Amino acid sequence: MLAKKVEEIKSKSLAETQKSVSERELFDVKVKYLGRKGKLTEILKNLKNLSTDERKKIGPLANRARQEIDKALAARKHELGARADWEKEKIDVTLPGKKQELGHLNPITLVNREVEKIFTSMGFEIANGSEVEQDFYNFDSLNIPKDHPARDMMDTFRVKSKNNDLLLRTHVSAIQVRYMEKHRPPFRVIMPGRVFRNEATDSSHEHTFYQTDGMMVGKDVSAANYYAIIDEFLKKFFGKNIKTRMRPSFFPFTEPSFEIDFECLLCKGKGCSVCKQTGWIEIIPGGMINQNVFTAAGYKRNQYQGCAWDIGISRLAMMKYKINDIRLFHSGDLRFVNQF
Amino acid sequence: MKYSYTWLKELSGTKKTPKQLAELLTMHAFELEDMKTEGKETQLTFDILANRGHDALSHIGMAREICALENRQLNLPASHFLTNRKGLSVKINDTGLCRRYIGVALENIKVAPSPKWMRARLLVCGIKPINNIVDITNYVMLETGQPLHAFDANKTTGNIIVRQAKKGEKIRLLDESEKIMISKNLVIADSEKALALAGVMGGLKSGVMNKTKKIILEAANFDPVSIRKTRTAHNISTESSYRFERDIDSNLAETAAARAIELIRKYGGKNVKAVTTADIYPKKIKPWTIKLDLEYVNSLLGENIPANKIKKILESLDIKVKSSEKYIIAEIPTIRIDLKTQEDLIEEIGRIYGYENISAKVPAVELSAPPVNEKRVFEDKLRDCATSLGFSEMLNYSFYSADDIEKCGLAIDEHLEVANPMNPDQQYLRTVLVPGILKNVETNLKNFDKFSIFEIGRIYSNHGQKLPDEKTFLAGALVDIENKKEIFFELKGKIEALLEKLGIENIEFSEPKVAGTIVHPTRAAVMRVRGRTIGYIGKINPKILGEYRIKNRVAAFELDTQEMQNLASSLREYRPISKFPSVKRDISMFVPEGMAYADIEKEIAKSGGRLVKNIELFDVFEKEGRKSLAIRLEIGSDKKTLTSAEIDGMMKKIVSRLEKDLKVKVRK
Repeated sequence: MLAKKVEEIKSKSLAETQKSVSERELFDVKVKYLGRKGKLTEILKNLKNLSTDERKKIGPLANRARQEIDKALAARKHELGARADWEKEKIDVTLPGKKQELGHLNPITLVNREVEKIFTSMGFEIANGSEVEQDFYNFDSLNIPKDHPARDMMDTFRVKSKNNDLLLRTHVSAIQVRYMEKHRPPFRVIMPGRVFRNEATDSSHEHTFYQTDGMMVGKDVSAANYYAIIDEFLKKFFGKNIKTRMRPSFFPFTEPSFEIDFECLLCKGKGCSVCKQTGWIEIIPGGMINQNVFTAAGYKRNQYQGCAWDIGISRLAMMKYKINDIRLFHSGDLRFVNQF
Repeated sequence: MKYSYTWLKELSGTKKTPKQLAELLTMHAFELEDMKTEGKETQLTFDILANRGHDALSHIGMAREICALENRQLNLPASHFLTNRKGLSVKINDTGLCRRYIGVALENIKVAPSPKWMRARLLVCGIKPINNIVDITNYVMLETGQPLHAFDANKTTGNIIVRQAKKGEKIRLLDESEKIMISKNLVIADSEKALALAGVMGGLKSGVMNKTKKIILEAANFDPVSIRKTRTAHNISTESSYRFERDIDSNLAETAAARAIELIRKYGGKNVKAVTTADIYPKKIKPWTIKLDLEYVNSLLGENIPANKIKKILESLDIKVKSSEKYIIAEIPTIRIDLKTQEDLIEEIGRIYGYENISAKVPAVELSAPPVNEKRVFEDKLRDCATSLGFSEMLNYSFYSADDIEKCGLAIDEHLEVANPMNPDQQYLRTVLVPGILKNVETNLKNFDKFSIFEIGRIYSNHGQKLPDEKTFLAGALVDIENKKEIFFELKGKIEALLEKLGIENIEFSEPKVAGTIVHPTRAAVMRVRGRTIGYIGKINPKILGEYRIKNRVAAFELDTQEMQNLASSLREYRPISKFPSVKRDISMFVPEGMAYADIEKEIAKSGGRLVKNIELFDVFEKEGRKSLAIRLEIGSDKKTLTSAEIDGMMKKIVSRLEKDLKVKVRK
């Protein structure tokens, strides 16, 4: 009879232990069965009043039950305890992370890098030049004589000097003849840099902007080669589905001269306000290097053939990032630069 | 230039719509700028390329293009100029400046409005109709490209002298402005006075008025440079000067004069009579030839255009062609002043053939990696290092004002000066980058409390041989409003990290002796490596901050990129990580006033030798008016584990040297 009761107490207390969801409940269970007046404690206290036989039988049984209950309570407490700790440690993971100082590059640098990467992958060298130049390299050597209307196209900042022949270069083409003087064809080279025009500024005009000119000179460089180079560049820059076209133009330093357009990305050639209803956007001026430029560099006339072109970096950056005001590049405003 | 569609259609016989015509010309000759249609008439504005002003600034010139592109001959009615009548006195003082002068005196003129169709065409082309005589001169100019002028003969002494102006000579022009001429200006004059600013604008007094009965019609040719100088000196540009500046064919004067006389006879009065004429043309321009290598044509274009096709294209442009197997001898009509070289002809062939028909060909070149531009690569590396340290990139103008120079205490005579700045902000070329950086700081303090910025840009000095010296500098600044500590060290930490990343070692920071007034006199340092100055770092002088309306503390730096590039090394050699443990020992000490930390570090390194692997300052504080430093040393050997006796001995040595040589008081 008593053995059955012990079993009953054990199973009941174990069940109650499992049901408990807090330390408080576990404590109550413990008191109820194992406390000073607990049900199992009473049986244990009463052992001495039993017969020897019965005591031998019930004693171990009750003690084992006590151990099991203790163990179950401890296990349950641990279980509950573990669960409660995680809850206490809960954090709001949607709170923002600690601000890190992150530097940003000017979009001009980003576009410069992209253009340079494309051309160096095609085997072009990068040449440097000075921003303050002599008339000869900026104009005369490029077949732009004094008092020629072509000089009207480029309002020039003159720099005071003894010989009065210094200016701020109006285009990076000013590097062309300097490079030719130091190198012999064949060569492929791009010339990146800052250029200056003495113009009033507005959202689409700046007195300081950026260009990357290119030239390739050899024995038989042709207009078809020129078109291939520029077409490849534009496809790498704007995406391979871009459509391009070549049409006539005039620049004193190239003959023949071309203008390369690409089909307006916005209207796909149908005509919109961005392309002034023409369906095309004028992008790269260039042509076959004028033999007068070669002779200015000391080469023999008709010894070489070459092509040269000009990429307006500021304009490309404006197109790429949809920047609507050219003055932002020099605004020094981090609200602008931090977006890149 | 603005063209009338109906006029072009009449001359060329094209069947194309205005839009088709615009497309054809854009792809082969001139880009359409604008198109406006009103009823049957369409105004087409084309951007005439600078080398085609000779012929294409006219409806006939454009019609010739259209015919060439549509493969038809342009047929023009021939009108002949009567040269048999003479008697008009014309004298040219310098035939270099006035290369031809045709004058025709016409009597019985009746000034009236010109016919309606003519007025309509003038309006489409953007020219205001005035009266029959003036309108005819303008009409013929739009048709042929030759500017004409008509004088009221009775307001002159009846003769023409083409001469340079007398210094200070005055003339009131048709636009009623009075010009004081300089001696280089070419004028059309009579025996008494200047009648017109040659090729630019007529004089008001001798202009054709309602009462005019007799005129002298002028069809002349002037030196383009002289016209350009005159019109730029007086800041005027007219339809006439625009054309003369681009140089036109002297033979065109004759065609235009004949055409004008024809029209004046028709619309200028019933009994108009040419009474006297003159044609002074000392150096007659004749067609010239160009020997064109057929192989070169295809080599330069990268196409394979057959010889007969080349010939046909040239002929369509009124070029006479004689060909052999390999060459073409092309005789150029005098109107095409732009055609002088083989390449000029190749351009004509290419564009008429159509660049859209030239297919892209990848150049056949030797496969080789391009030479590396070390300067560009280094500057790019600087940009990457700077941004990784939290600096954002600024681009500032190369100019600043005299005011900036003064504010920053720079020497104005070290600066290159722009001769023609549009405003004072563009007057001087920068010799330092910091003024631009300070403007950036001022801009950004409106929106940010904490930021670091940098710029890589050129500075210019008036030293140098043919060209001024240009150097590329890296400059920057750091602002941190909330930071109560000295931001000099925040910036210094970043610069040290930057230099470390570049492989520049052994940087000495010493107090600047002379560094202008930009930096704080006692919170700035010059940076040197092995005796070479690479730049400076410092707090900006509070006085200058005030000048730039900056209320917060700013730390800034400038570094010479070339010096850095020379010192930078990407070479690294792995040093094995020591197998033996090292220990850390702290020393704290009171230091005498004015003692530099660098001296203490040097002393420790010297007395500790190679066993001192690292020296790190971890605390600085003031106690009872004395400065105290706490330094942590890492001590160890690569060869063995040091015993505590050895370490103690070494510490003792360091301490005693510090106390003896530097008079510091080590706290025990």
